[in-house]
Amino acid sequence: MLEHLAPQLFNGLVLGAFYAIVGIGLSLIMNLTGTINMAHGSFMTLAGYLAFTMIARGSSFWFALIAAPLVAVVVGVLVERTLVRPLYTREPFYSLLMTFGLSLIAEEVYRLIWGANGVPLSAPAALSGAVSLGFMSFPVYRIFIAAVLVVAIIALALFLTRTRFGLRLRAAVQDTEMIAALGTNTQLLYTVNFGLGIFLAGLAGVLAAGMLGLSPTSGNALLMPAFVTVIIGGMGSLFGSVVGGLLIGLAISLTTLFVPAASEVAMYVLMAAVLLVRPRGLFGEEGIFG
Amino acid sequence: MNGRQELVTSVAIVALLALAPVLSPLVHLDISIVSEVLLFTIAAMSVNLLLGYTGLPAFGNAAYFGLGAYGAALSITYWHAAFFEAILLGTLAAFLGALLLGPFLLRRRGIYFGLLSIAFGQVFYFIAYRFTDVTGGEDGMNFPRPPIGIPGLHVSLQQTSFYYFALLVFVLIVLAFRTIVRSPFGRTLIAIRQNEARVRYLGLNTDRFIFVALLISATMAGIGGALFGLLINFAYPLMLDWHQSGDFVLTMILGGAATVWGPLVGGFIYVIGKDIISTITPLWQIFLGALFVVCVLGFPRGILGTLAALRPQKARSAALDPNAAFDPHAPVEIGRGV
Repeated sequence: MLEHLAPQLFNGLVLGAFYAIVGIGLSLIMNLTGTINMAHGSFMTLAGYLAFTMIARGSSFWFALIAAPLVAVVVGVLVERTLVRPLYTREPFYSLLMTFGLSLIAEEVYRLIWGANGVPLSAPAALSGAVSLGFMSFPVYRIFIAAVLVVAIIALALFLTRTRFGLRLRAAVQDTEMIAALGTNTQLLYTVNFGLGIFLAGLAGVLAAGMLGLSPTSGNALLMPAFVTVIIGGMGSLFGSVVGGLLIGLAISLTTLFVPAASEVAMYVLMAAVLLVRPRGLFGEEGIFG
Repeated sequence: MNGRQELVTSVAIVALLALAPVLSPLVHLDISIVSEVLLFTIAAMSVNLLLGYTGLPAFGNAAYFGLGAYGAALSITYWHAAFFEAILLGTLAAFLGALLLGPFLLRRRGIYFGLLSIAFGQVFYFIAYRFTDVTGGEDGMNFPRPPIGIPGLHVSLQQTSFYYFALLVFVLIVLAFRTIVRSPFGRTLIAIRQNEARVRYLGLNTDRFIFVALLISATMAGIGGALFGLLINFAYPLMLDWHQSGDFVLTMILGGAATVWGPLVGGFIYVIGKDIISTITPLWQIFLGALFVVCVLGFPRGILGTLAALRPQKARSAALDPNAAFDPHAPVEIGRGV
């Protein structure tokens, strides 16, 4: 039993770390501007495909791991400045609809450029193989993913709590008008915040491409669990997203082991249970989103 | 628009729809496509009740639409239900789905309600997708259109007679919808959109109003879905997917939020646009996405709302009328004060 259970638990945690980091990106954007970014998955896929192309053209995996998300950020910032920004003064619902449209366009564009079928993105030789721990063995690539995601989350937490810019971001979530009156350029805050969310999505997108494969819809497959992550963890809480993501990852991997057909439904059951006990989510802050 | 004008417009619209089986061959349009427009419009109207009138981002109505279709499909396949029984059971499935989800969805408002609708709506998608033995999984379910099931009438409807049946259902739903949004109940929904806190201060249990609105909306979507399943003799998981919900929302916004006829305008553009563009190019999805972007940035009040804004000032003073929200010519921004 243990030899099946332990790797499955580990896989669940890695999967959960993906949900967490995508959820954090969504949550950042949602908190500051009220935008539910339905195109978040499209940016993940974009970064994955860009990394695929870079590696195919001879660049190293390590370069692509950083460069592809950065290119996605450039695209994201352009989208934010031209299309999303005019909607900040309107009901948040409109930006949901708009980014939904963008994700439809993106999916078809990826299909045109990279084809409808999935393409493989293989991890470098240094990260292939497995580490044996006696009773079980871990694939090195998954350990690497877990490490990168943990570092990214810690770096983000430090950025938000320890730097002046991070403080301004959190202050703007509390009261945008006040922070604007105090002389902070809030438009810049919005743009950087959006870019930050996209960078996290891009990073997850490249890493996920090496583990889960790459297709025009692969990012969107991670989007729905990320929504559930945010709902379970609580809107506005970084720590909540981490806990929520890991919980869902575990729930999915355990049901896959015992009742494979119910693996997706498991996270919704979890979400329903959390909502009954705590409507604002496990670590949600009341007031930011009613 | 006064009562007389409205009556004339409505009669004209229904008369044109009644002539559709004669008119549509002239523009090389299959009558089943026009049936699809009507059923799609019913689903968009169900979104309109929640989003346009009550201000709740109903981004999960495909769940009820799909439950309607699957309810019909399952009852025909496993219980050999007749035509009306299948519609009834499909509608019941959608109603029960909303009864089940309602208590969870009601816990939140605003954009969070949208998030919950999207997420919970997907449950049914995964059930249909995963429980292959019962639902056929990704392949969906093919089923025949059963005989009507009234003693002495053992025929099943052909495409044209099906269209007239769909039109009858559509007209009844429009009448019911108009009655609902003009009733004290409907006015309360609009008040909730404008300022829910105030409605609560007046002593009304807004949760209860929203729950009833959700049940009505799901029932409408279920009827549309059951009939749509019977139209194409097919039920498939993507009917339940959030992309489908997004299309319903777009259809509603495109025509004009909080208007009685807006969804029909949107339904015509969406369904027929899709039919025409899909035959020319496989890139329909790019056009659809662009339509979302242009509609949100360019004319968020929809076609009917934007037309109203172009009218002379005199006509627009109607916007100050408390009944304005029911008037297709009164521009309405959705989601106020949630």
